[in-house]
Amino acid sequence: MSYSIEAQGLEKTFVKARSIREILLHPFQRADRVDALRGVDLHVAEGEILSLLGPNGAGKTTLLKILACLVLPDEGRALVGGHDTTDENSVKRLIGYVHSDERSFYWRLSARENLRFFARLYDVPSPRIESRIEELLARVDLLGAADRPFSGYSSGMKQRVSIARALLHDPPILMMDEPTRSLDPASSKNLRNFILEQLQGRDGKTILLATHDLREAEVMSDRIAILIRGRVREIGTVSEVSRWGVHERTYKLEVDAIEGPIDGPFRTLTDERVSGVRRLTIALDEGGTLDGVLRALIGAGAVVRLCDRQEPDLEQAFSRILEAESEEA
Amino acid sequence: MTRNLLKLWAFVKRDFLSEVSYRLAFLMRVLGMLFSLLAFFFLTKMIDPNTKGLDGIPPFDWLLIGLSFQFYFSTALYSFSARIRSEQLLGTLEAMLVTPTPTAMVVFSSAAWDFVYGGIRVLLYMLFATLIFGVTLHVNSPLSLVIGVILTLLSSAGLGILSASFILYFKRGDPINFLLSGATTFLGTVFFPAELLPGWLQPLSNYLPITWSLRIVRGSLLQGKTLSDLRNELAVLALCTVILLPGGLICSRFAIRRAKREGTLIQY
Repeated sequence: MSYSIEAQGLEKTFVKARSIREILLHPFQRADRVDALRGVDLHVAEGEILSLLGPNGAGKTTLLKILACLVLPDEGRALVGGHDTTDENSVKRLIGYVHSDERSFYWRLSARENLRFFARLYDVPSPRIESRIEELLARVDLLGAADRPFSGYSSGMKQRVSIARALLHDPPILMMDEPTRSLDPASSKNLRNFILEQLQGRDGKTILLATHDLREAEVMSDRIAILIRGRVREIGTVSEVSRWGVHERTYKLEVDAIEGPIDGPFRTLTDERVSGVRRLTIALDEGGTLDGVLRALIGAGAVVRLCDRQEPDLEQAFSRILEAESEEA
Repeated sequence: MTRNLLKLWAFVKRDFLSEVSYRLAFLMRVLGMLFSLLAFFFLTKMIDPNTKGLDGIPPFDWLLIGLSFQFYFSTALYSFSARIRSEQLLGTLEAMLVTPTPTAMVVFSSAAWDFVYGGIRVLLYMLFATLIFGVTLHVNSPLSLVIGVILTLLSSAGLGILSASFILYFKRGDPINFLLSGATTFLGTVFFPAELLPGWLQPLSNYLPITWSLRIVRGSLLQGKTLSDLRNELAVLALCTVILLPGGLICSRFAIRRAKREGTLIQY
């Protein structure tokens, strides 16, 4: 299995800012440090989308910045496309970085002029620059507005220019820091579709996405890494992570022809009557079988109209992980 | 090499496009230069042409060179740090630093337009001075002038890079800019000859690269001195350059590395 990105034991602390008063009162005192990453290990396979999910301050952006050679780690190492991040030049040729900050452009210039400038910095060969910009503007649907000043663009358009910029040198790996942060729901959906269909589906790019939007992570990711207080707390597919801390299976049932309490080899979570239909949510522990549940219900005279397995929810799993983390802390 | 020159050109073009997008401000600045020259033209009429240190050069001509080159010198001093600060605030520094362009190249090229603009400004000053104010400029020894200007550029760039290193590391105004701009204005023979200073202060003037730059440019342009007449001044300025430029580059390397380690490179 070849990995596009590997992080091994990454650690990073930052100096805590001191007030002028503190500096004057204790000029020789060493400044406190804040842990940003505490031994992060992870890998991203080629063509995979891995989402870094975590609350604000979890270390997502720091991790991206280390991988993009913007920040040096204190300990550990990171490999991008097989190159150590100390080999900046090789790593930077392999990555495209989509910033969450729409200010990262020259607002007095047009999208085309901005892209021309960044194409030079990305070493796009001179004869290729104009055609590549044209091609990318068409892909992000901005050809018609390419010569207008960037300042007049909507947030969605700005983010599309940001993606076009990250693709200028056609890198195999993309790092995206909250790409839909300032977008409305419709623009977010369009951007997500573009990333999934075009960037992953068509181009086969490897994507590392930092987000705190659970829905975004759920829809877009092949795998999710939950980062809390600088540590990867859980990593796996959406369904694996969603099952974290769940020791029961949950089913939703609709039954008829039975009144009063129902006993059986299960735990009743909810029991309500909606439009004349009795709806139950039940939980089975690891040893319990659906067969046993149905036998008990039918034996009690019930008619089972519907039985639906409830998949664990990522949001609930995330809350459970956060809770466990704060208990440990 | 070609690739780096193309990148440098891209920086110049980017800033030129931004600059001319504020057309009125651009025009006003050019007009402002003309008005300031007018003010100095009449102001220098109050100065005795036989003042010690003017070496027979008319006061306006003497001040004209001081003014135009002081702007160039302060461009070199301020532009690196000002540009880096502004790119940090705009959020564009991070976008540039994730490209394969080396950090040092990004830092130094960001100020490329300021140097071009500074050069244009010097030329405009000279043009106004000769066409409107009747100043006679000599170009008997273009070589000494060119070498002098290049050395001025490189030595002041060294100081500017040193100053940018402070900004990269400390994120705030640095003492180098403060001290040097004050010293340049007061001791650098920009507005008045060093001979007018108190005796104990006069030698300090010799420690500033701009003093030597101005001696070369005034000597060459206003007195028609040749390369051999100016060889001592050129040697001192070359020495300043040899010390300041590598010194600035070493400090910037250190500052960039430390800023990356501390994670402050892209903060503002």
